[in-house]
Amino acid sequence: MSKLYSSRRGFMAQSAVWAAAFAGVGASGIRSARADRSGELNILCWEGYNSAQVLDPFRSSTGATVKAESLTNDPTMINRLRAGEINVWDLINVNNPWARRVMWPEGLIRAIDRATFEPYFNSMLPAFKPPYKWAMDDAGEVMLGMCQRFGPYSFVVNTDKVSREAAEDQGWNLWNDPANEGKYGVLESDDWNVFNICCIAGFDPFKVHSDDEVAAFGETAKHVFKGAKVVGDIATMNQALVSGEIDFHMTGGTYSASPARADGATNIRGVTPKSGPMEGGKGGISWIEVTSVVNNPDVSPRAEEFLKYVQDAEVAHTVAFAEGTFNPVAQMGNPACFGLFTAEELDAIQWDSLEEEMARSVEYDIVPDYDKLLDLMTAAKREA
Amino acid sequence: MAAGSRAPGPRFALPVLGLLLVGFAAPLLAVIGYSFMPERTFGLWQEPTLDNYASVFSGTSYISFLWSLALASATVTVLALVCYPIAYGLARVFGRWSPLITLLFTIPLFVSENVRLYGWVLFFIKGGVLLGTLKSVFGIEIESWLFTRGIILLGMVYVYLPFMLFPMTLGVAMVPHETSEAAADLGASRWQVFREVELPLSMPGIVIGFLLTFVLAVGAIVEAKVLGGQQIIPITHDIEIAFTYAQNWPLGAALAVLLMVVVGVLVIGVLRRFDLDAVLGRR
Amino acid sequence: MSQTHILRLDSVVKRFGGLTAVNGVSLAIAEGEFFTIVGPSGSGKTTLLRMLAGMDTPSSGDILLRGERINDMPANQRPTCMVFQSLALFPHRTVGQNIEFALKIRGVDAATRKARALELMAQLRLPADYYGKSVTKCSGGERQRVALARSLAYDPAILFFDEPLSAIDYKLRKTLEKELKDIHRETGKTFVYITHSLEEAMVMSDRIGVMCAGEMVQVGTPDEIYTAPRTRFVSEFMGDVNVVPVRLGPDGRLHSDDPPSVFKAPTLPEGFARGHLVVRPESMRFVERAEQADNHVAGRLYNEYALGSRIQYQVRVGERVFIVERLRQQAFAGRLDDAVLIGWDAANSLVVGD
Repeated sequence: MSKLYSSRRGFMAQSAVWAAAFAGVGASGIRSARADRSGELNILCWEGYNSAQVLDPFRSSTGATVKAESLTNDPTMINRLRAGEINVWDLINVNNPWARRVMWPEGLIRAIDRATFEPYFNSMLPAFKPPYKWAMDDAGEVMLGMCQRFGPYSFVVNTDKVSREAAEDQGWNLWNDPANEGKYGVLESDDWNVFNICCIAGFDPFKVHSDDEVAAFGETAKHVFKGAKVVGDIATMNQALVSGEIDFHMTGGTYSASPARADGATNIRGVTPKSGPMEGGKGGISWIEVTSVVNNPDVSPRAEEFLKYVQDAEVAHTVAFAEGTFNPVAQMGNPACFGLFTAEELDAIQWDSLEEEMARSVEYDIVPDYDKLLDLMTAAKREA
Repeated sequence: MAAGSRAPGPRFALPVLGLLLVGFAAPLLAVIGYSFMPERTFGLWQEPTLDNYASVFSGTSYISFLWSLALASATVTVLALVCYPIAYGLARVFGRWSPLITLLFTIPLFVSENVRLYGWVLFFIKGGVLLGTLKSVFGIEIESWLFTRGIILLGMVYVYLPFMLFPMTLGVAMVPHETSEAAADLGASRWQVFREVELPLSMPGIVIGFLLTFVLAVGAIVEAKVLGGQQIIPITHDIEIAFTYAQNWPLGAALAVLLMVVVGVLVIGVLRRFDLDAVLGRR
Repeated sequence: MSQTHILRLDSVVKRFGGLTAVNGVSLAIAEGEFFTIVGPSGSGKTTLLRMLAGMDTPSSGDILLRGERINDMPANQRPTCMVFQSLALFPHRTVGQNIEFALKIRGVDAATRKARALELMAQLRLPADYYGKSVTKCSGGERQRVALARSLAYDPAILFFDEPLSAIDYKLRKTLEKELKDIHRETGKTFVYITHSLEEAMVMSDRIGVMCAGEMVQVGTPDEIYTAPRTRFVSEFMGDVNVVPVRLGPDGRLHSDDPPSVFKAPTLPEGFARGHLVVRPESMRFVERAEQADNHVAGRLYNEYALGSRIQYQVRVGERVFIVERLRQQAFAGRLDDAVLIGWDAANSLVVGD
């Protein structure tokens, strides 16, 4: 055994092969070194890209077998590549900082052809004007992925209970007001909860934290979870908001509120604080998805093709309203795409305030001491 | 007959043995192996360490362990009290209605547990079936029970009811009717018949029901998440967090191993103290 | 035998829905009697016994125990005890615990219980070292004795038996039948026993009650039942008998249509115009001339069967089959299909009303 897996890398490679075999991803099980993979494409993504609405047209036009697995947090996806599944996936769809800050330096993804893909950014919304920071490496030379879905993501209120105005003014202090105990929920999205608890504690999440700040984080996490009426998934949060079980919940925005809004509950609204502890006094956080080609030694030639396919106006609209959650897409900068959105759809994704909310938000970034903070938060949840 | 390895029995058992090794032993060994790896790593062939166990014991994971064990014990207790009369009825009283009633208890099993629990959410939520009806029909307004600890227990009792009920029904059905009658004929009161004859003779079914529901309930996670709104973090949820958000597989593996050990010791302890064969009079 | 009645049944009826399982049974059982109720399955004997033991209540009629009406008294309050067909021993208990059960229920202290159990075990020829043995490890005969000892432990006024020997092989059954009769004698208790085997009833009982379709058709000593069955059913229940339908002719004699004949026989019971002539096979004999017996019929020897000490012959008379039994030493020399003449005397026949 030990000889077989003489190095960690060897083990990784082996386990990836096994993973592929078990997942039934490689149709032929263990494949030969340089097989023709134009007939298949494997996507690791947030939900939406795995929907039949998005994938079926691509399947029928290319004849390729497309498999997509959706997960609802970034670290798990990155770690699956690290654990050896780099041999399995062709595309990875995660939030903005990971491509540039982690996956590219670690050699988990490969560059895409800048000449081919940069022009697409010209027709996106103005904020994505090329060269777009999150699509490029640190030096701004190499292109690392394509953008599509994005949105502000701070918290959600029931405007019948807390007005948008009041929520925007009070911002993260909503969670510091003892009167609000038992009135709010926490969406089970632990990485984002770490950011939010930093904001509630009054400091920027996206930096290395002092011991005092770490201690303050632990205390804040305890009081936040103790006061939480409910911790749960998006459906639970929306149901609790609509029914009046809670008045607001943290970690949320268009991504989580849109299903309720699309259902007619327009009193459920993602809110971005007017100010907060982050760079430039900003109080909100936003996310932008970057889809990159995995550094698979045997990558499918369909990977880049798929990146182009989703830039199409109609496909982009489908992605925006794929099953699950509804989100603005960068391609709305293209009038052909924007024209496809109905007034109700625009209202569901809070188009009216999208620009100002994005302006009040800093972009999602890596928290250097995330592990330490997460452990503190997990313990706080347990003790609550 | 050729002896030893040439006999057809062991040879034909090989595929099954292989399947068991790959499907059962291998994942288990992998989990045990991971629990000795350095924290937040993903390889299985590094220098083993006890750090994960040390951090479990120095941390607050015991709270989750205690919640899981307490909830499972409470579930088993409530189920025992709820199910015995039903089991007795199914085996002895309901007669030709028994199959229908059994079916009614079985049907929910065909619906996903999550769907059923969300059904309960809609039932208990503010303005939902229960509170909404109370308010609009009777004008009574009471606090919602959703997202409380009590409702987690209710959810678990509901979800695991068939797993207690059916072994118990078999257990009660195993008690020959004439044996109960004989006890009564010898002067035993209803209660004495139950205590001296029916309870001990239905014990095999009861113990199997206890063990089954306890082991399942210790592994419960959705009830606390969906109905309880995570007011309680059971150990399974801790394990899940370790494997997902925390990306700390070794820690999750250590928690899983400890859970297996705790449950294993409890189950073996019960089986030791309670010899099914002896009760059935087979020894 | 004392003539005081320990148990009286007065027109006891039990209905289950539209079915009448027991239909107006009246009966008096004497103190210390061994009374057996015989009947085929479905005759209502088990239902009757369950009412006597308190496991069912009569739909109408009364059950009196030493003059006291006990219709609604539950089993656990009656001073009676039952030995079940399945024995219904407690498999999770030892021999001693089984025997002591009734005493333990009544709060008798452990030492007294054990003494009583050992006393009963000795009486029933169970080795004393069986006291701590699991009942599931006892043999069939030993279990019978444990069940009996368990029923006797609290000194019941009446012991009921629900076919306890029916599942036991022939040889052991014969032994246990005799043992049971011995125990009856030793204890002097009233035994009420039910069985579908008249043979078993004959061996043990002081009196037998024959049940048919929910009714008690005849009660009498084994001898009375055997020699003077009151109905065709009772006579046939005794085993193989020859039964010929007869009617009272205008001449006051008994006429038969099949075979067409006039029989010399005891007369029909009062008030009956039709009935059955009953002749036991051992009362039949082969004759050479008609004058050798009061009655005779001509037939053909169809088959013969060896029944141990006896041989049974089937003789076909038209479509009807007559049965003749001879002792082996007096075997008939005829061959199959021979024309034979069989005869019997009027004194050895009886006539039951229809």
